[in-house]
Amino acid sequence: MRKATFVFLHMLTIVLVICSLFTGLRFSLLTQDWLKFLSALLPQGNLYFWHIGSASLLSALAAGYLLLSLWRPYRSSPSHYHLWVNRFGYLIILGLLSSGWLLWLGRFVAIAQPLHFYSLWLLLIYLLMHGWAYFIQHGKYVLSALLPKQPDKHSIAAVISVTAGGLLLYSAAQHSAETLTVASLAPEEFIEIDGLGDESHWQRAPVYTIETHGGINFDDGRSTIQVQALANSQESYFLVRWTDSSMSTNHLPLLKTQAGWKIQQNGFYEFDERTFYEDKLAVMLSHSCEVGADNTAQLGNRPLDGKPPNWHGKGFHASMDGKIRDLWHWKAVRTNDMYLADDNFFGPPAIAQQGQRRYTAGYQPDGKESGAYVMNWQWYKPGLVTPKRLPDQSNAHLSVLPWFGSTPYTAENDDFAPGSTLSSILYRSNRFEGDRADVRARGTWDNGVWTLELVRKHYTGSEHDVPLTNGTCMWFSAFDHAQVGHTRHMRPAILRYPL
Amino acid sequence: MIARLLMSLTAVLIVASVLWRDPAAPVAQPHPRFVKLDKHGNPLSPWQGPWSCVLDTTQQLVWEVKTDSENIHDGYWTYSWYLSGDPRTSDRARGEANLGDCYFETSRCDTQDLINRTRQAALCGLTQWRLPSAQELSSLVQAPARPGHAHIAQDFFPHMKHGDYWSADHSQPLSGHYRRFKQGALAVNFHTGKQYSLPYRNAAFVLLVADLPSEHHSSRTSGVTHQPTTGN
Repeated sequence: MRKATFVFLHMLTIVLVICSLFTGLRFSLLTQDWLKFLSALLPQGNLYFWHIGSASLLSALAAGYLLLSLWRPYRSSPSHYHLWVNRFGYLIILGLLSSGWLLWLGRFVAIAQPLHFYSLWLLLIYLLMHGWAYFIQHGKYVLSALLPKQPDKHSIAAVISVTAGGLLLYSAAQHSAETLTVASLAPEEFIEIDGLGDESHWQRAPVYTIETHGGINFDDGRSTIQVQALANSQESYFLVRWTDSSMSTNHLPLLKTQAGWKIQQNGFYEFDERTFYEDKLAVMLSHSCEVGADNTAQLGNRPLDGKPPNWHGKGFHASMDGKIRDLWHWKAVRTNDMYLADDNFFGPPAIAQQGQRRYTAGYQPDGKESGAYVMNWQWYKPGLVTPKRLPDQSNAHLSVLPWFGSTPYTAENDDFAPGSTLSSILYRSNRFEGDRADVRARGTWDNGVWTLELVRKHYTGSEHDVPLTNGTCMWFSAFDHAQVGHTRHMRPAILRYPL
Repeated sequence: MIARLLMSLTAVLIVASVLWRDPAAPVAQPHPRFVKLDKHGNPLSPWQGPWSCVLDTTQQLVWEVKTDSENIHDGYWTYSWYLSGDPRTSDRARGEANLGDCYFETSRCDTQDLINRTRQAALCGLTQWRLPSAQELSSLVQAPARPGHAHIAQDFFPHMKHGDYWSADHSQPLSGHYRRFKQGALAVNFHTGKQYSLPYRNAAFVLLVADLPSEHHSSRTSGVTHQPTTGN
C-alpha cells in the first residue's frame, strides 16, 4: 500500500470514527443518565442514518484495509509504543464493528450490547493514546502527516472502492428485514383474546424471535420477544410473549400521608417515570421497512427545529417524511382491562400548544368518539394532590378505579388512614369507542413472561392506521414499569401472508 | 512539549465550558389570545392549574372552563335552552325548562340553572355570567390541533365535547326535521365548527361567558408568571 493511499484511508477513518462515536454516545444517553453532561456536544435528530452509514463505510474500509495489507502492506516504522497502541486500536474497531452488526442482527445481544458499549470507551482511550500522544510528540507536524496531499490513482481507487462498498453495505443493512410468516386461520377457527395463547391454532404459526435491548429496569436492559401471527380473511391475530421478571401494575399510585394524598413518582415530572409505572408493549407498523424505527426516532434534547424541547432529553418519535406509522400501545393497567391496546400513531411533528406542558411531536393517539381513562387527581403536582374519586371499600385494592364502585372525593368522606394507597387510573367508561379502539388486546403475566394476544382488522379505513398486508413491517418494544425507556431492535419483522 | 500540553488543557477547558451549560429546558410560552384564570380570577401561567376560566384578550370576555370533576361545570352535563324573564326589562321567559341532564339539580337542567349557579358561586370573581352570542361562541372555533379533538383550543378549553353548545341567539326559525317546533336557538357545534338552529327542548352543552369589567382590563393579565411549578 502506498503512503498516499494510507493517508487517504486514515483520514476517512478519522471522519467515520468520529461520526460513529458521537452518534453512538447519543444512543448511550437513552440508558446512561450519567452521560447527560455530554449532551451539548452530541448531534441530535435521526441518527440511525449516520450511525449505520458510518458503520457500513467503516466496515468496508476495514475489509479493504485488511485485503490491501495482506496483498501489499503499508511499510512504516512506528515506535514500539505506537505499534502496540495501533494493535489495540485494531482490536477495538473489530470489537465495535462485530458487536454493532450483531446488535443490528438482533442476535447474541447479551454479549454484543455490553461489548459495544465498553468498546466505545476503549475507543476513546485509544484516541487519546494514539492521536493525543502523536500531537504531544510532534505538534503541528502531525497535520502534515494526516492531511492528504496530491492523490494518485491508487488512493483514488481505494477511496472510491471503499465508499462504493460501504454504500452497498449500508443499502443492504438499511432495508434488511426478517420474515414473520403469518399462518392461515380458517373461518370456523376461534381465538379468544384472553392473554393465554392456549388455542391449538397457534402451534402452526412459526415463531419470530427478536432480542431487544436498551430498556430501563429490565435485567441488563434486555427482553427477548417472540411473536406468532395468524390471519383469516378479515383479521390478523398476534401472540406476543416477552421476558420481564416482574409484573408491574403499580401505576403512579396515590399514597395517603399525614398531610394528604401524594403521587408516588420517580421521574414523572419530566415524563420519564421509572419506578411507579405499568408494564407496556409497543408495536410499530409501517409500509416502509428501514432499520432503526423507520426513521421516526429523533434523538436529543431538542431534535426538531422550531419545536419545543423535551423534558427528559431523550428525544421524540415523529415521521419526517409525512407518512403515518401505526402504533399499538398496550398498557398493563390503563388498557388491559378495556381488552384493548391504545391505537396511536407516529405522524409529522404536531403543532405545539401553549397550554400543554408535554410536547410529544409525532406521537399521537388516534381520534376517539368517547370513552377514556382519566388520571384520578384534580391537578398534577409533585406535592400533594386532590383525588377525583375515592373507591368503595370493596374496590380499594383495584389497580383501576371503576366509576361505579367509587364516589366523588370530598374531604369529609376521606377516611383513609395514612399509608393507604389509591389507584391513579379512573375509568369513565369501560373502553374507548372509535378509531382509537381498533386493536383488541389482553395480556397476562406468568413466571417472568408476559403473554399478549392482539387482533386487528387488516383494513380499518382509518387514515392513522397502516393496513396489515404482505410487506408491512413491524417493530416491538417492551417497557418494564418505565414511561419512555423501552427496549429496541433495529431490523423489522416483515409480514408474509399465506397465498 | 509544554506549549502542546497547554494547548491540550485549553481545548479541554473549552469543551468543559460547552458541557457546563444546562440543556434548554421547555419554557411556557404565553398564548396570543387566552390567559388562564383561577377560581378567584387570578391569572395563571399557561402550564399552571387548575384553572376555572379563560380570559379572551381579543374580545375582553371571560369564558367558563368545563371540568370532569362532577361539579356544576362538568363537561358532560347538558341543558335545554331556557331563560327566565326579567321584569325590569320586560323580557319574558323563553325556551323550555328542565330538559337537559345533570346531577346538580333535583329536576333536570336548563341553561338558566347553570347561569344561576355560576352567578351565585361568583366563578372567577364575576357574577354577570350569561349565554354567549353565536358570534362570540363561533369566534372560539379553530381547527383541531390533535386527531379527535374538538374545534377549539383544547389546551385551554379541555373537556369540550363533539357536540352542540347553546348560544343566546333565540327566536331562530327552524327548518327540515325541526320545522314542527317553529322556533329555537342557535348552537355552535364544536365537532363541525358550524352553527345550527335547534329546538329549545334539545339537550345541548353550554359554555358560559362573562363580560370583563372595564376595571379589570389590565389587571387580569398582569402578574402572569411562566414558571413550570405545576403541570398537566
